[in-house]
Amino acid sequence: MEFWTSFAGQMVLRGAATSVTENYDRFVNSAVNAERLGFDGVVASEHHFEYNRFLPSPLQALAAAAAATSRIRLITGAMLLPLYDPIRAAEMACAVDVLSGGRLVLGLGQGYRPVEFDGLGVAKKTRGARHSEAMDILRLATTHGRVSYSGQHYRFDNVEVNPASLQHPIELWFCGGNSVVGARRAARAGIDYWAANLPLEPARTLIARYKEFAREAGHRPEQLRVAIFRDVFIGETVEEARAARQQYLDLYYDEHIRSYGYLLDADGQPLFEPPFDHPAYLQFVDSLYCGSYQMVIEELTHYESLGVHSITVPPIQIDAFSKHILPAFRRRGQ
Amino acid sequence: MKVGLSWDPSGAASAARAWGDIVDDMTRADALGFDSAWLAEGRTSASSCAQPSIFLAFAARRTKSIHLRPLHRRALGEHPVRLAEEIALLDHFSHGRAGIAFAAASAQRTDVELVHETIEFVRTAWVTNEFRFRGNYFRFPEHMNATVSAGASFPAWQGHYVPQWKWGAAKSTADFLAVTPKPLAVHVPVYVAIDDDATLECAARRGISPYVSVGSTTDEAKRRLAKYRSLADDAGRKSHEVDAVIERHVAIDGPTDSYTFGGSTHDIACAIREFAAVTRVGHFVWRYRGHRPADMERFANEVQVRLQA
Repeated sequence: MEFWTSFAGQMVLRGAATSVTENYDRFVNSAVNAERLGFDGVVASEHHFEYNRFLPSPLQALAAAAAATSRIRLITGAMLLPLYDPIRAAEMACAVDVLSGGRLVLGLGQGYRPVEFDGLGVAKKTRGARHSEAMDILRLATTHGRVSYSGQHYRFDNVEVNPASLQHPIELWFCGGNSVVGARRAARAGIDYWAANLPLEPARTLIARYKEFAREAGHRPEQLRVAIFRDVFIGETVEEARAARQQYLDLYYDEHIRSYGYLLDADGQPLFEPPFDHPAYLQFVDSLYCGSYQMVIEELTHYESLGVHSITVPPIQIDAFSKHILPAFRRRGQ
Repeated sequence: MKVGLSWDPSGAASAARAWGDIVDDMTRADALGFDSAWLAEGRTSASSCAQPSIFLAFAARRTKSIHLRPLHRRALGEHPVRLAEEIALLDHFSHGRAGIAFAAASAQRTDVELVHETIEFVRTAWVTNEFRFRGNYFRFPEHMNATVSAGASFPAWQGHYVPQWKWGAAKSTADFLAVTPKPLAVHVPVYVAIDDDATLECAARRGISPYVSVGSTTDEAKRRLAKYRSLADDAGRKSHEVDAVIERHVAIDGPTDSYTFGGSTHDIACAIREFAAVTRVGHFVWRYRGHRPADMERFANEVQVRLQA
């Protein structure tokens, strides 16, 4: 099983004063650190507007990281594909792939924040269809270097994409949150699925559904992979791990999860600033796993036994993670 | 004067090889004290770079001082928000060394107003907080009623500040938005190639720095820059508002032609000085391709030092 981690910096909004430029340096430095510490990939996400520390172009940040690293996989997770012209997205991706010597992986999400769609001139209600079509286009562009496509939202007639990527195609992952709808859409398209933070049993269920959908769509389930963002917090004791989780909630999640419509109510409608005792918020906090080193090794071993290809962990404890968790999996992999 | 180098990676057999060579060139130019590195956007061959800001974000981490400019960047087909964001990000990844040079409208086969609207938008986005923009070619944000005035406009103060995380569902489609990040530099340099009269006039009247590319003859470049100056003077513009750029080929110990400054390094320095005296350009850019590393070093040691004087 591979281990990926997020760029440090893109989530720190409060309690970590630094210049904006230094914050972007942190992205690059965290890729260097992750490579040194033995992680397989570093993940850059995408958000727009309001905050100076947001990362509106994960591919540009990965290009900067490519210059400072040599082995680690450079991964978008999630790049908000419906907000791009797909040919431009392909051009950017191919450029990063060339510059990095073929280390790019594309994790592609459809986005959820209304202001991002409005600011970039895309109707949010079209995001699902745009996402599916644009993924097809990216696959064509990075396989053949040329795109002819006729869809509901995009039409291209024999458009050449230069430069060609080094990988044919660039590895694509469908970032579908943890919804059955996302899993179904990825499975039907025959694309690897990258789920949001999921405890073990829901993960087991979702993976089974995804494989079932794939089989129904005529794909071979054993050829499709699953990755999971798994927010695990570690410590010598569970209390230490909980303190790390609380720090992450304070710095990042309490705003980003609660304020922009990420959490959904029982009817599937987005929640804006739900109270801290709202069941959706409590369920989310409960999904952030806290454990001692041994507990975390055992927890992640269960995911490995489910056939999960990669786990993405938060960036705030990667030194400890490298020292206490990774060796157990590396020994097993040898 | 400032002295830079430009590259167009198109035409090579392999992007990986050609791009690697250009990164090496840029690194060498940075070490030799050149002021600027310009990378041309292109889509015509296997080694073209369609998204030069991606390339330059990579180069930013391999260089320390040299300024980095996407060259002949198209406004057509790019969302202005993304252009503003990409240059601001490049500015941070390069610690304040970013700029952008747009292609002339004729080279993009579009109307000059689209190029102008894009430039107005990105300049506004870099220095203001929440704003909206109503143009002929795009609107920001997308939702906007017909009574909104053209160009940029700003929210009236409502008596209290509501942070984004308090907007909630009601304001999830805000009427005004801030494009982020803001660049490190207060005013990021913006250039446009003045290869056609419409773009030239737009640039001169609106204080946009002119870039005369290597496709014009030296005599034509002089005429274009003279016309730019005349129109800019008429519009009340000042020379210090812009950084006028001339791009030429260079042939050290080679012949001079309509597009090339050649001869000894002394001859080349004199030719550049003469051109600058006639046109008031302050920035010379050498279109660099297929030269030996020794040429760059000779130019740096024998021409650049005289231009910097």
